[in-house]
Amino acid sequence: MAKATQPIMIDGVPLKEQLARAERRKKYIALGMVLPLLLFIIITFAIPILSMLFRSVDNPRMVTIVPNLVAALDDWDAVDLPSEQVFEIAFHDLTAAKKAGHLGKVSTHLNYSLSGGRSLILKTKRKFKKIKSGPYREAMIKSDKRWGDVHTWAVIKKVSVPYTARFFLNAVDRDYDDTGNVIQKPEEYRIYVTLFLRTLWISLGVTLMTLLIGYPIAYLISTTPPKISNLLIIMVLLPFWTSLLVRTTSWIVLLQTQGVLNDIMVWLGIISEQERIQMIFNLRGTLIAMTQILLPFMVLPMYSVMKTIPLYELRASQSLGANPFITFFRIFWPRSIPGIGAGGLLVFVLSVGYYITPALVGGSKGQMISNQIAFHMKSSLNWGLAAAMGTILLVAVLILYWLYDKVVGIDKMKLG
Amino acid sequence: MDTNQAEAYVSFNEVQKSYDGENLVVKDLNLGVQRGEFMTMLGPSGSGKTTCLMMLAGFETATSGEIMLDGTAINDVPPWKRDIGIVFQNYALFPHMTVRENLAYPLEVRKTPKAEINERVDKALGMVQLEGFSGRRPGQLSGGQQQRVAVARALVFEPKLVLMDEPLGALDKQLREQMQYEIKHIHENLGVTVVYVTHDQSEALTMSNRVCVFDDGVVQQVAPPDVLYEQPENAFVAQFIGENNTFVGTVKEASNGYCVAEVQTGESLKALAINIAGPGTRTTLSLRPERVSINPEAGTCDNSVQGTVKELIYLGDHIRARLELCGQDQFIVKVPNAARHSHLTEGESVVVGWHSEDCRALDAPA
Amino acid sequence: MDVSRLPSYTGPLGRIWHYLFLLICALVFLLLIGPLFVIIPLSFNADSYFTFSEGMLRLDPDAFSLKWYRELFGTYEAIRSSRPESRGSEWASAAGNSFFIAICSTVIATSLGTLAAVGLSRSHMPFRRLIMAVLISPMIVPIIITAAGIFVYYSKYHLAYTHLGLILAHAALGTPFVVITVTAVLMGFDQQYVRASYSLGARPLKTFRKVVLPLTFPGIITGAIFAFVTSFDEVVVVIFLGGENQVTLPRLIWSGIRQEITLTILAVATIMVLLSVVVLFCVELLRRRHERFVTRPLGAP
Repeated sequence: MAKATQPIMIDGVPLKEQLARAERRKKYIALGMVLPLLLFIIITFAIPILSMLFRSVDNPRMVTIVPNLVAALDDWDAVDLPSEQVFEIAFHDLTAAKKAGHLGKVSTHLNYSLSGGRSLILKTKRKFKKIKSGPYREAMIKSDKRWGDVHTWAVIKKVSVPYTARFFLNAVDRDYDDTGNVIQKPEEYRIYVTLFLRTLWISLGVTLMTLLIGYPIAYLISTTPPKISNLLIIMVLLPFWTSLLVRTTSWIVLLQTQGVLNDIMVWLGIISEQERIQMIFNLRGTLIAMTQILLPFMVLPMYSVMKTIPLYELRASQSLGANPFITFFRIFWPRSIPGIGAGGLLVFVLSVGYYITPALVGGSKGQMISNQIAFHMKSSLNWGLAAAMGTILLVAVLILYWLYDKVVGIDKMKLG
Repeated sequence: MDTNQAEAYVSFNEVQKSYDGENLVVKDLNLGVQRGEFMTMLGPSGSGKTTCLMMLAGFETATSGEIMLDGTAINDVPPWKRDIGIVFQNYALFPHMTVRENLAYPLEVRKTPKAEINERVDKALGMVQLEGFSGRRPGQLSGGQQQRVAVARALVFEPKLVLMDEPLGALDKQLREQMQYEIKHIHENLGVTVVYVTHDQSEALTMSNRVCVFDDGVVQQVAPPDVLYEQPENAFVAQFIGENNTFVGTVKEASNGYCVAEVQTGESLKALAINIAGPGTRTTLSLRPERVSINPEAGTCDNSVQGTVKELIYLGDHIRARLELCGQDQFIVKVPNAARHSHLTEGESVVVGWHSEDCRALDAPA
Repeated sequence: MDVSRLPSYTGPLGRIWHYLFLLICALVFLLLIGPLFVIIPLSFNADSYFTFSEGMLRLDPDAFSLKWYRELFGTYEAIRSSRPESRGSEWASAAGNSFFIAICSTVIATSLGTLAAVGLSRSHMPFRRLIMAVLISPMIVPIIITAAGIFVYYSKYHLAYTHLGLILAHAALGTPFVVITVTAVLMGFDQQYVRASYSLGARPLKTFRKVVLPLTFPGIITGAIFAFVTSFDEVVVVIFLGGENQVTLPRLIWSGIRQEITLTILAVATIMVLLSVVVLFCVELLRRRHERFVTRPLGAP
């Protein structure tokens, strides 16, 4: 390509600049077309989720309701009982909170970390009426002797910080003790680490099972002539397009103790009427149903990789003296590994966040992390803990998708 | 370059094109195409020929200069108002329309009456011998048939000009040669003006009235095929069109349209002085393999040198001999398959001779 | 290699392995679609048990009945009189909600998604990877996190327990599928068609209508079907965000399974399986049309 001796000018403006301007205009047009959706997703989706996840560290309740007490406790050493001045501030802040009708929130908040915290505050609500003037220390201790306990104040100080890692610690069965050290929770309260591990094992199990039973049919579909393979692919796609709830329902019908599968086994004489197997509402139910439901997500990526393995390579291998078995293991198998990677990652990442199927067929032993998040959102109303667990789950999922993007490319995701 | 450019039907006047504002893809192009002419733009890929075609079609704008069609400047006319039929490299037949719908499309957008559309589509289909295929979709046609439909579609609305952008590139050799003749005959019968782009020199030589050779964004030579082959004006054209033996040498003397050049190994060779700067400068001597005689009768050739036969390839009508002479071992001679030459053997030492008017002294290599 | 046919030189071990392989495949296919087809005959059960009665196995016509479908459509008088609140109309209104929410969210997702895909398929798009990551995030974030976040945030703006809230949430969930499908179609679209159309005398608007739209429409419709099905099947966000008036079909099935599972659910499930057959048929049709037109390289026979 020839170099122009001097910059090419049109109407006194260098062409290069004009081209750059045109390029910029095209960029703005492209951006302008994406902008409506981008804003829509940010407003209706991204901000709600981020603000939810922010609750995992946010601890605004005490700071907003009893701000002076929080400030006073900030300087307290948490060794000796607080001074009269702190008691006075506490009295006024709590009285003000009562007037504003926020005392209930304080009591609930305290109750997460201090057993009997709710009753302490609510009792105070009644007793404080009698206290007209100082010294407040004696008066408050008189109203409830727990105010004389350093532990009570230490807990109040602990729960008053504006940002806290406590929810994350709770999510991994740990907590702060009174002096701020991280300790393991008592044995009987340790449930979340087990739950995370179970989620991991269930996901791995489902991934391995879908791989094990998905590989043969992906191989069959990719190697049969189109007439048959089109029919087979439809058999994979039909469950893919069928409602998740319908598929879960059909598993309940099949696996119940009075269900079709048990009936068949009784009829065949494999088990007796009394030995009907509990196949659902437990871990086994979750595994069976999830394997079947996620199987298409394993088969489709594997199939799309396998069908690109050219027939002539397999023929070349056979012509070079390799029998069909050697040909499979030396040629077909290595070439199909990208498909296994794509399918495996996809199934794993989908399983980790699974909610509906474990909730319906999992019983108590087949629950996964999503179900616990739902519990804390809807029943225990401990949103901070739910947010912390959600954050951990989301980070894990994002790492997996990042991997998926590296391996397969996210916009190449096979959709049906 | 073109003497008739003023009254040309299509003309490029000092056209430049740059994509990035720094490098020129097309430099100071001046070219005229006469009405009814079949003009081929020939050149290696990246030489600027397709860019020229796209500027003519209106898909690229000229950075400077003027493009004229039928007496009016068309720089600012959008493609859909130019009335120029195009046969694309990959045909670009609309896959969702039948052959008939594809052909009717340019007439429908021009609001031609229904009856006339049918009549003209039938005529166009007849022209490319595809009468029975009007209801098929492009996907149901072979490559050659798609090619014919593309040609018919570019002609059916009787455009002022037809552009073809390497239209035969996707076809196999035999079909390509057949289509070359079909397109040539259509051109002859309709008298339409055609600008054709290709990188295949035999295609260019077969079909064109004139060929315009491009290299590096510059027109190297515009001439009818025979002139281009017999009288290349520079080393690039000589090398690009047909087979060619070259020697690099230094001009010793030049007079009466001839010059004498001394090559690397010391031999002095006489040649037509076409494109040399003068005595003392370097030059490329160009000589066609079929103009060389082996062991000529004494006195018939004014250039003769000693050479050694390195390789012989039997090609039926002629024998292709590779010789080593004047310090290079890629000297090709086409020996007619006549009785008296059958004794040539590899390793044999021979005298090689040619007429000085067949050897052209051209510009020196860069 | 056609594995369904064996060459004549196959040894006995090869034959055994071959038939074993086919048997395994048959079992896997049975696992894939068997469960779907078990519920179809069961939904015609005259009894209220979730298993085939002896009468059904004998193909006794009396063992089969349409009563669960009648209940579904609110015409089974016996059930109706015993339950004054009429369960049938509950299903009808759930179906109405499902279709209304799915159609509205599909329209939003498809129009915004298609426009964005046009922008994304241009070579001039800045920050392409980052924007793509944000746009497809609704498909990536586990549904429980989405539901929780949307519930808390939408409550603040009085969007919880409204149709609008669900429509917005479902539209967000559906857009990634539209963006991915339509971007892929547009990237595969050859600009040469546009040039050809211009050269034949068609103006840009005409070219868009007659050439670009017909060739990319199957892709857009496929994306819309994905968005529709995403909303139609979605239950978790509905559980969090939907109130009494936003009960959808999946939501009703969900509470049916959790409280008292009746054979009416199997009747609904059967209808939904048939619906998915229709959807699959449409998508396959569109895919083949698309493959025939666009995926095939230009000029190839």
